Amino acid sequence: MADLEVHNVTVSYKKKVAIKDASLKANAGEIIGLIGADGSGKSSLMHAIAGVTRFEGEVCYGGVSYRSPKEAEQLKSDIGLMPQGIGLVLYDTLTVAEHLDFFADIRNIQKNEAFKTYRQKLLHMAGLTEFTNRQAGKLSGGMMQKLSLICALLHRPKLLILDEPTTGVDPLSRMELWEILDGICKSEGTIALVSTAYMQEAAKMARVLLFDEGEIIASDTVKALIDSVGNYTYEQTACENERCFSFDEHTYSLEPLHAPHTEPTLEALFFVNALQKGQTLPHIEIEARESQDEVPQVVMEAKGLTKIFGDFVANDHVSMNLHGGEIVGLLGANGAGKTTFIKMLLGLYPIDEGELYLLGQQIRSGKDRQKLKSKIGYVSQHFALYKDMTVRENLLYFANMHRIAVTTALSRINRYAKELGFEDYMDYFPHELPLGINQRFSVAAAMLHEPVVLFLDEPTSGVDTIARAQFWQILQGIKKKWGISILITTHYMSEAEYCDRVVLMKEGRKIADDSVKVLHAAHPDAKNFEEIFLEYYRSKR
Amino acid sequence: MKLGVVKAYMLKELTELLRTRLIVMVYLMPSMILILFGYGIRMDVSHARTLIIDNDQSKYSRALTSKFEHSRYFDATVTQMSEKEALHRIKQATTDIIVIIPSSFQKRLLHGQKSEIGVFVDAAFPTRATTMESYVQGVILNAAQEATQNLGTPKGLIIINNRNLFNQAMRDEDAIVPGLIGLVLLVAPAILAALLIVKEKENGTIFNFYASALSKREFLAAKLIPVFLLHSVNIFILFLMATKLFDVPFRGSFTLYWLTSELYILISLSIGMLISVVTKRQIVAVVLTVIITIIPGFLYSGILMPISSMVGESYIEAHMFPVMYYTHILYDTFLIGEGLASAKTQLYLLILVFYALGMLSLGTLFLKKELK
Repeated sequence: MADLEVHNVTVSYKKKVAIKDASLKANAGEIIGLIGADGSGKSSLMHAIAGVTRFEGEVCYGGVSYRSPKEAEQLKSDIGLMPQGIGLVLYDTLTVAEHLDFFADIRNIQKNEAFKTYRQKLLHMAGLTEFTNRQAGKLSGGMMQKLSLICALLHRPKLLILDEPTTGVDPLSRMELWEILDGICKSEGTIALVSTAYMQEAAKMARVLLFDEGEIIASDTVKALIDSVGNYTYEQTACENERCFSFDEHTYSLEPLHAPHTEPTLEALFFVNALQKGQTLPHIEIEARESQDEVPQVVMEAKGLTKIFGDFVANDHVSMNLHGGEIVGLLGANGAGKTTFIKMLLGLYPIDEGELYLLGQQIRSGKDRQKLKSKIGYVSQHFALYKDMTVRENLLYFANMHRIAVTTALSRINRYAKELGFEDYMDYFPHELPLGINQRFSVAAAMLHEPVVLFLDEPTSGVDTIARAQFWQILQGIKKKWGISILITTHYMSEAEYCDRVVLMKEGRKIADDSVKVLHAAHPDAKNFEEIFLEYYRSKR
Repeated sequence: MKLGVVKAYMLKELTELLRTRLIVMVYLMPSMILILFGYGIRMDVSHARTLIIDNDQSKYSRALTSKFEHSRYFDATVTQMSEKEALHRIKQATTDIIVIIPSSFQKRLLHGQKSEIGVFVDAAFPTRATTMESYVQGVILNAAQEATQNLGTPKGLIIINNRNLFNQAMRDEDAIVPGLIGLVLLVAPAILAALLIVKEKENGTIFNFYASALSKREFLAAKLIPVFLLHSVNIFILFLMATKLFDVPFRGSFTLYWLTSELYILISLSIGMLISVVTKRQIVAVVLTVIITIIPGFLYSGILMPISSMVGESYIEAHMFPVMYYTHILYDTFLIGEGLASAKTQLYLLILVFYALGMLSLGTLFLKKELK
């Protein structure tokens, strides 16, 4: 008998079934990965196993079985749960040290020498030793996640349940998180259930469960899973039939193609699964825009932009420019100053030092900006949508804000809905829709006034693989047909490869600014862009 | 119950209250309500602007006008003007009362003939108007009594010997401030308690409770004890404000006042907590708490009208909310001083104890240690 056995667990909310008949087995020291689109039931299964939601079925752990949260109560001291959301379980006003004390106390841990050494070890692993007096609200996203993780580890749980612990976390923090997790599972014999949106992480797991629409559709080692889709993966080629999809130098097709096979990645699972279910992934076609505004040669030019919060320098003389018809990726760890930089470009933060030129005009005051507002589109980190308005109403509202005539607005909204593929969701509320759809219509909202430049702040965080692939097709389409420039921040290093140029930031300063090709040439040993990124972060101080 | 665990949670609650500055609300809100309403509500009338048109200008008419001039209830001006002009003044709201003494006032009195004094009262606020009307009548009757004595007729057969009990001076403060304490201690703790749990639900930190071995009772104790202790200080602050700032007498037992107030705060906190348990958003919790505490708190605290004069539904409603029982004891301790010697006070105290127990068990019952 395995240490953890989950038998036919079903979780439903009102009439909606979140996960149906899920079963799994795991042994001490194993890390089990849960992957799948958002809304596929990963979180619900994790909540059921952690005993925080009602479920049908049975969970057995260490000889004790439970069928309800009440019965799970006796095992709570052995379970550690880290729910989804950056810093979700942290209290903004408490410091790092206070968090550790609090979590130790509510778990009734004896504060003896052994605990103190363990606490120091965790703090050290998380790189938080120097920040024990900082309030959680003032930590960067990566630090918050590391703190949440070590808080969940304090009572040495035997069963660790982590729901997307790395979403929105930069590659460096992500790697450190995994080092902590690996170490703990090996030394303490902990079973860890981890859901993730980063497929590279799945490689570190003993087994992976693939979720789709409330069911576990595959459960195997990473290698076996990848091998299972090998037959459908080809080098990029033109699609000849309906059941075919191309993305990122791969083409996936259920019917044989006259092209050489290539080594698939874990992402291939999603595409092949979608194709097998007969989902025709909507082909994205962007039409040329209505207005004939000329896109200037240099859209944005920043010279030594500086932003200081108190004694903290968020941006230290950052210079960069953005040319017409160019997609530039702004990369960096959490707290490196990416969002601050974009907010300065938009005028959401005043510029403390430096010069900014937008569309050839120098920006000195809010008045200079006002004239340019109609040329700029912006999608914030947390999509700024109104929860109580439907998608259609939200879009109409944004059109009104930009003083677009109603007839024009309506025709544009319908056109974007069709082109960006959210036509069927027009009368839903944003919270009823998957993140991927929200993200698309946020972009539509930012494009209603036909800007010549788009600023996108982490639009793909937490969005599943297929939705992200389609999102990048949209961006490429916009760039091609509209000829506008796009500045985008992301934590998915694989996405850097789709950008024309990447700007790397570290601790408020720019440390690299070049095309991916040039960077690859400069780092011949790196297998992918993530390794280049880590190299920059580790070496150059 | 693991005390160490509860203590840790309490410490966290207190730190959060301090750092989020919510503690300001704990102490500012009750005092502010007391000051604003304590000074703001006026039931009796004083310094009514009175215009007296003396068309007689005789000894007797002057005796009457001087009565008005010497009363603290009236700010009297004696002038000569037409009735029409005077009515115009009332329309412009520059005067509240017009008294018109006819020209042959003294002559008719001396001849034992009937004489009519014209009185006009601004009745835009009916209760105020009734009060002013009765004051005017009182002054005139008083003057008439003296006048008849002077005329040599025998003394009036009936003399009203009126004595007001408990609030001899009929001061508004004495009547309102104890009732306000009943309102304040219902509203302020309830709003704070309403935020406590729903805040964690909205932020997601509620998972720390769901996922740990903390029991429901430990969680509630950890949530309620810090705010209970913080609000207990208000019992003393409000007492001092009532007796020192508003000069309300205190005739009963302080221990009774103190213990009943602690019990009442517990009830208020558990009402807020119950709301916090069933709602999902902070804003909903706050609005709901305001509605179900302020309105009954005002209506049934005895500030506006005594419960004994209520009939039908309002009588039943008044008995459903805790505020009536508490304010009864409040008025007793402040103005009367019977204390536990009164059977009614004993009964009401018992009702409050059951109320507290009932609300707390409801909260524990409805709190679920799982996602909804």
